[in-house]
Amino acid sequence: MTTVNLRRTPLYDNHVALQARMVEFGGFEMPVQYAGVLREHDAVRHRAGLFDLSHMGQFVLRGAEIGEWADRLTVNEVATMRPWQARYNLFCGESGGTHDDVIFYRQEGDEWLLVVNASNARKMWGILQAHRRPGITLENHHGTDALIAIQGPRSVEIVGRLVAPSERESIVGMRYYFCARTSVAGIPVLLARTGYTGEDGFELFVANDDAVGLWDALLEAGVSDGLEPCGLGARDVLRLEAGMPLYGHELEEDITPLQAGLGWAVKFGKPVFEGKVALEAQRVADDYARIAAFTLEGRAPQPRMGYRVYAQGIDVGEVRSGAVGIGTALIDPSAAKVGSPLEVEIRDKRWPATVVKLPFYKRAKT
Amino acid sequence: MASPADLLYSKEHEWLKLDGDVATIGITDYAQSSLGDIVYVELPKVGATLEQFGNVGVVESVKAVSDLFTPIGGEVTEVNVAIEGDPALVNREPFAGGWLFKLKIADAAQKSALMPAADYDVLTAS
Repeated sequence: MTTVNLRRTPLYDNHVALQARMVEFGGFEMPVQYAGVLREHDAVRHRAGLFDLSHMGQFVLRGAEIGEWADRLTVNEVATMRPWQARYNLFCGESGGTHDDVIFYRQEGDEWLLVVNASNARKMWGILQAHRRPGITLENHHGTDALIAIQGPRSVEIVGRLVAPSERESIVGMRYYFCARTSVAGIPVLLARTGYTGEDGFELFVANDDAVGLWDALLEAGVSDGLEPCGLGARDVLRLEAGMPLYGHELEEDITPLQAGLGWAVKFGKPVFEGKVALEAQRVADDYARIAAFTLEGRAPQPRMGYRVYAQGIDVGEVRSGAVGIGTALIDPSAAKVGSPLEVEIRDKRWPATVVKLPFYKRAKT
Repeated sequence: MASPADLLYSKEHEWLKLDGDVATIGITDYAQSSLGDIVYVELPKVGATLEQFGNVGVVESVKAVSDLFTPIGGEVTEVNVAIEGDPALVNREPFAGGWLFKLKIADAAQKSALMPAADYDVLTAS
């Protein structure tokens, strides 16, 4: 730990002042919790939470052919995206395994923002570089641009207070998975109606130099709504409940999008893309181990990555993520049907579980 | 918070309160704060005989599983059933309602391997 030179986001001093507990994540020193994971989780579900996500990799892509170029490198459609639209996507290898799961944000003209996982940023930059071609320019903004998310039912109202009155209606009315260039608290941002918690909210892409000003303005504007700073611990529980995959858990170099239950994002209608042949074969065979969600019965310990999973006494796979009473596991297809009984082995004891449909949590539509 | 002066402490962040030959055992405020939100506690069984400093259970927080050690040896006479339904009680009241188990101690001399509150607070302040 001490030999690794960890990077810090521009909000590092804010986290320390807020008495956050800092941990290594993706090469950065990041807040895992402030007041406590459960309290922060509650804030996001019922009020609002503020997250520093500046460790995420941000790449700016420019060129008239970005859409067509990216369509060959990813499983979902890129060229069909409209200006100011955002779309979830995955980069796969030839074998169909996942290099990373990402979001493309299309802006005006030929400019796109690609957001990748912190832990994969170096690898993904290498993959993009290897496919660079004339007419396409790539800029690596990892660590030089910041990202702040505000998530929870009060988020939109809080952000609405900090935008110009003339823009308020369009900001508040922005559709899910769309974005806009605007100013929040007088600070220029790319404001996106995206998130990783299962709640409504925004993600704000901002220059490093403006990050502290934006963070402070949001915290102050939201204090009367119960807005609280939230760490990566709460974020992990929130995303798991919302059924969203986390790279390194539900996704890996040797786990395909189909295995992770992300077949909806794989557009086999595209003529050619990296991993298509392997993914098509996997889809046809339909015999692959897959991510299943499960609930534990009664009062059980928390399932954690790597715990073995059994069906009718036979080892069928392993836990990939867990929170109190719930988890995901990568298991044989025969055991993965909704309603199937499982057992999760936790410290030499097997605890009864049941396969359920994702997500565990879905917010009420307003 | 300063650790209560009437308790004894182990390097593994358990506390012990002695009442005759019955010891009440829990984890310290420092331990619960380091662990974060506690979501599950696995306690020894009533009747089990425990060795001093032996691994007797686990305390799980959202992020981690930590071994639980007993600061003194003896036979388990009671466990705190309240924390089965409400593990966060250990976070809220580590030195009171969040106690973990009671032992009939085997050898009072084992106390000498534990620390008074002042020494424990020095240990956790560094």
